[in-house]
Amino acid sequence: MIAVAGTASACARRGSATPPTNDLLIVGYDREPDTLNRFSTHILEDIQTCVVEGLTTTDERMNVVPLLAADVPTLQNGGVRLRPDGGMDVTWTLRSGVTWHDGHPFTSADVKFTVDAINGPNYNPESTDGFDRISSVDTPDALTAVVHYKEVYAPYDIQFIRGTLPKHVLEGRDIDRAQDYNRSPLGTGPYRVAAWKAGEYILLERVPHYWRGDESPRIRRLMFKFIANTNTRINQLKSGEVHVVALVPWDKQRELAGLTSIVVHRTPGNAYEHVTLNERQFPPFADVRVRRALIHALDRELFTKTILDGLAPVAHGPIQPVSWAYTDRITRYPYDPARARTLLDEAGWTAGPNGIRQRDGRPLAFTLITQAGYAIRENIAQAIEHQLREVGVDVRVELHDGTAISALWFEGRFDAMLHWWQMPADPEITTFFAADRTPPAGRNINYFKDDALTALLYASDRSVDRAARTQLLHRAQVMVSEAVPEIPLYSVTRLDAVPASLQHFKGNPTNTGIFWNVHEWEIK
Amino acid sequence: MLRFLARRLLQAVPLLFVISGLVFLLIHAAPGGPLAIYLSNPNVRPEDIERLRRALGLDRPLWQQYWSWLAAFAGGDWGYSFSDGRPVAARIVERLPATLELVGVSIVVALVLTVPTGIVSAVRRGRWFDRLTTTAAMAGISLPAFWFGLVLQIVFAVGLRWLPSSGRTTLGGGDFVDHVQHLLMPVTVLAVVQASGWSRYLRGSMIETLGQPFVLAARARGTPERDVIVRHALRNAIGPVLAIVMVDAALLVSGAVVTESVFAWPGLGSLFTEALARRDYSVLMALLMLTSTAIVVFNVVADAAHALIDPRVVDV
Repeated sequence: MIAVAGTASACARRGSATPPTNDLLIVGYDREPDTLNRFSTHILEDIQTCVVEGLTTTDERMNVVPLLAADVPTLQNGGVRLRPDGGMDVTWTLRSGVTWHDGHPFTSADVKFTVDAINGPNYNPESTDGFDRISSVDTPDALTAVVHYKEVYAPYDIQFIRGTLPKHVLEGRDIDRAQDYNRSPLGTGPYRVAAWKAGEYILLERVPHYWRGDESPRIRRLMFKFIANTNTRINQLKSGEVHVVALVPWDKQRELAGLTSIVVHRTPGNAYEHVTLNERQFPPFADVRVRRALIHALDRELFTKTILDGLAPVAHGPIQPVSWAYTDRITRYPYDPARARTLLDEAGWTAGPNGIRQRDGRPLAFTLITQAGYAIRENIAQAIEHQLREVGVDVRVELHDGTAISALWFEGRFDAMLHWWQMPADPEITTFFAADRTPPAGRNINYFKDDALTALLYASDRSVDRAARTQLLHRAQVMVSEAVPEIPLYSVTRLDAVPASLQHFKGNPTNTGIFWNVHEWEIK
Repeated sequence: MLRFLARRLLQAVPLLFVISGLVFLLIHAAPGGPLAIYLSNPNVRPEDIERLRRALGLDRPLWQQYWSWLAAFAGGDWGYSFSDGRPVAARIVERLPATLELVGVSIVVALVLTVPTGIVSAVRRGRWFDRLTTTAAMAGISLPAFWFGLVLQIVFAVGLRWLPSSGRTTLGGGDFVDHVQHLLMPVTVLAVVQASGWSRYLRGSMIETLGQPFVLAARARGTPERDVIVRHALRNAIGPVLAIVMVDAALLVSGAVVTESVFAWPGLGSLFTEALARRDYSVLMALLMLTSTAIVVFNVVADAAHALIDPRVVDV
């Protein structure tokens, strides 16, 4: 300690903190990416968003907007045509004058190459979702790509949101091992990778002639520093060593509130925290009266006011207010422990010794698993344990690490789980609720079975008409709210800390991330 | 001496083989695997998971996976990382300098603290210096490294803004002063924790040795007290401490896991944390084998060093 203080004062004020400028903006990042190839990674990464551009992207209100496409194809503008054989054709018109960073023109051949590579045998992308429904791509001219789908596919408009692969660089190569591309992808975006120091940082630098014009982007360099430890990341923000931290944990928000140099933006998110009720593992959950009793027994308003510090609103279903498909005309369940007790009585669960309800000699007792290391989540789990105990339900909380949790839910080996889904930008909820989408075929880990709902969800997936699809999804939300297959708790609000001097920050509720409009950012 | 070394190293081979099997079983017994991380993405379909499982060879029986890993590893091929597809050896080599820098400096600083502290508190047992260092050592042993590290950060980086709170260099920096500034806090954490333990061992060992008849004899011969302590007592007392220092050093070389994570130090410790969270089996196996080998080798080195100081040891 003494040694530290002594030497430190010797080189004091040399300073490691630099204020954010248009020359350099430093981002504190919670992990080092595996790869910068957007098709190989498990989530859309902020760093890639600055380098590689999709045909479309999602804006701050989760609207799908054109990026490298001239517009978003729809039924109305003729970009989407339904074929009599049940398939559909989507015509993408590309923005003209866009070049890859090496000067090669960006054309429809790159779109076709991307589809062929992902569907081909020589590449192992993370997901082939949607691409597997494409039969072929035609390229009548350099700026037109016609994508032929075998069946109607509603989320077609975000099919190329991750971007495209450059044909002239990757054709004929083993893309999994193409480390030159995977570590420093050739893109069309405002930045390119200047340096990647393993374990330390990735440095992006502005490209000389971005297609939006030479005055954009304004910030010359972006540095993503890898700081896995949350406390360290927040300390760096406070000391001025980093300027931006995306997804600030909620329990850190108050620590940052007093800093004048930092603004913590709140964006209503597209994720919702909920309790999954596994009917297969714990059969009492199959009784809708039990599920309704559980949701009535929880004072969710109190959770959001106290544990969540007012940062997040109570959620009432899987589709969040930020989505165009959202409706609030659904059944809601206010905090009503008396009603919960009545429902449990009706379901045959009567008070037993030591206050735990039982039926046929078996107690109403289950285990609630959740991920360790999230203070808020652990507190919510304890509150649930306490409140359900009040109505005679015995809950035991179990904490696991993230990888273990994934394995447990995938194998259905849990009674109840507290977690959230980051929902796709497209409101496709089939994988979570359709009867035939239990693991491994999907993520219906409530093991909830409702044939009418299942039919409705599949119908909505095969509808590209926005108005018709909205109707179907509104009805699906009503059905989900009546059946309570899971207990929605709160809608996740994104907190992003950025410099107070940063202009044109917009935020983003999806996993496109906050850097989607980085070309507009400017320090003033 | 050479035969002694060769015999000790040869004995280590079957030991490492057994360790590799146990470690392999252990890391595969942890729930989840390299693909578990993909499950949380709703766009990754079951077909995708199956396809990736086959592509990574995770669909084969466990003994087959172990056998092919062992055959390749023995031949010097450490395989590819499950998370980023790059060669494991390359991932380890690029992290090694950072760890050697941090651990090397920390061990030197810890020894500089240990030796005088251990000697003086043994010689002046029960006096104020001994009581002070005993208290300090207890504190050093009891402090959780992550907590100690965070407190240093809050004081010197956030509060006083004297030192960078994490990383190895500043962008555009990297000169000597920059390196020293980044090293100060993590080295303090590691050195204080290690020296606390080591100085206790040295103190105990010195006290025992100082009570031996040969020390009394040396004093009776009129040997100066300084020589009695350094040439007679210390030389005998340092052996057991050296063995402990070497094992600790081996553990540190494979990564000061907690300290590196707190200070985002780009060494093997952070790599281990990442690989563990991702269940990156190939990287985990390589790191754990590296640790085991380092412990074996450092033990042999400690024995050899001990033998040089005290020739009686070779017969053991």
